[in-house]
Amino acid sequence: MTAQRDIFIQELFEKALLDKNIIFISADMGAPTLDQWKEKLPNQFIAAGISEQNAINVASGLAASGKKVFVYMMASWFARCIEQVRYSCAMANNTITILGNGVALGYAPSGPAHEPNEDIALSRSLLNIEIHSPSNESSTLNLVDLCLNIPKLRYIRLERNYPKQLENVTYQQNEFIKTLFENDVETDKKLTILSSGYMLGRALEVGIKIDKLVKTSVVDISRIKPLDSKVLTEVLSNSTHILTLEEQTLDGGFGSAICEFICDNNLSCNVLRLGLPERYIFENGSRDYLIDANGLSVANIFDSAVKFI
Amino acid sequence: MNHFLEEKAKKTRLEVFKFKTSSGVGHLASSLSCVDVVTSLYYDENVNFDPHKDYLIFSKAHGSPAVYPILADLDFFEVSELEKYCKPGGILKLHSDASIPGCHFVGGSLGNGIGYAAGIALAQKDKKVFVILGDAELYEGSVWETLIFIAHHKLNNIVLVVDRNKYGILGATEEMLKLESIKDKFISFGFDALEIDGHNFDDLRKSLTYTSEKPVAIIAKTIKGKGVSYMEDKYEYHTIIPKSENDIKKGIQELL
Repeated sequence: MTAQRDIFIQELFEKALLDKNIIFISADMGAPTLDQWKEKLPNQFIAAGISEQNAINVASGLAASGKKVFVYMMASWFARCIEQVRYSCAMANNTITILGNGVALGYAPSGPAHEPNEDIALSRSLLNIEIHSPSNESSTLNLVDLCLNIPKLRYIRLERNYPKQLENVTYQQNEFIKTLFENDVETDKKLTILSSGYMLGRALEVGIKIDKLVKTSVVDISRIKPLDSKVLTEVLSNSTHILTLEEQTLDGGFGSAICEFICDNNLSCNVLRLGLPERYIFENGSRDYLIDANGLSVANIFDSAVKFI
Repeated sequence: MNHFLEEKAKKTRLEVFKFKTSSGVGHLASSLSCVDVVTSLYYDENVNFDPHKDYLIFSKAHGSPAVYPILADLDFFEVSELEKYCKPGGILKLHSDASIPGCHFVGGSLGNGIGYAAGIALAQKDKKVFVILGDAELYEGSVWETLIFIAHHKLNNIVLVVDRNKYGILGATEEMLKLESIKDKFISFGFDALEIDGHNFDDLRKSLTYTSEKPVAIIAKTIKGKGVSYMEDKYEYHTIIPKSENDIKKGIQELL
């Protein structure tokens, strides 16, 4: 399994060999696929040091000069440069791509400073920004073309590891909502689990565990902002119960985005939001251990889903 | 030449005073302090700056209205726009932005214009990029991140001008939180730093035409509220605009 960052950076490198306007800025983040940039494309690679604010501001000036700029940093430090993203990019309409590596508890056990459990809420409050949470190799790869072909300010939330169940799933270009699982029973109640990224693995396990209890589907929403209105309306209209599952705290996060969509579109369905508790997680343990220990084990999600329906 | 520049600066200061006092909004004192700097940049024929090709980025955008009378004089927009400053239907704003002919970027958030300018300077080495920074803006950490970047990349097509008018909103920088020696700080970051009288056109010419392999920072020592006696060096006037008839009349008389 290749890390999403390397899938993205390798593909971008291939494109950059043919397009000198592609510029890659690293705020002192490395990746195995990054070394070749330094060697073969030194004029298209900028080591900005640990200076996310400057990296974004410089990127905005480069973008204003016609460059296609990618800024690579730890996802945690997106919070560090929100003003620069807001002011120099969103407000000034300078379209750059921000690659935030290691979202949610991906860097466990590094502690809460390195484990952003609120970056969806922070980023989606900005205007003029697209937010993507790819779940596997295929969906990550599609984003390279998207960024190069349709300039837009984007925040791409890269997972350090992704669910093994999604390893062989193929996403079409611009397929930002994808049904990954559907059981073959017909019941009056219809449960749809909406999630993205790493949590899709658990969502799929819960879907299988529900077996024939209730009609259930698991849907990946990989573009969190803007939501694909037409497809999401269809998904929601076919459900009586919506369970949103996220590796984020709940205020303003993924589930909030879905609730706002339901409200704004006059849709009617029951919603249960599951996410991380509202606290910073200082305990030791692997990503899976910490997710389990914070209420989002497969068993806990299953129990919540059963009670919900 | 200097007489010509002095006349242009005088006219600019008067116009700024008029549209600021008639609208009652903005940072008049912070605009007055950098009028001579921008006058020198736009009107001194020895200074290599083409406003149609090169960039002036007001990182301290609250001072950017200083340039509006000049841009009107150079036909970037109608002179009548000055009267409509900050009024509905007018194009001139408290902080300049790219919607205004002759202006660039967005304005209003300190510590960021310099980084944007560094990106422009890196991508467009055939252009000159002048950046006007406030002295109190130097408290922003992002400024120093960018100084490291500019020096490392030897961006000598960028010229930083610090409008050293000595005051922030709460008072004198040296009393609030010491900034000096600004010159030594710039030098230690890899710049050639020139400390000049920001109201002296010989000094301005010399510094704005100074060339070096290193990036250049000009510390222009200026007077906040320059030209209006009761405003000069009074930090209280950072956000206050004269309102009484007498004050306005006196200001205009002094600027004539």
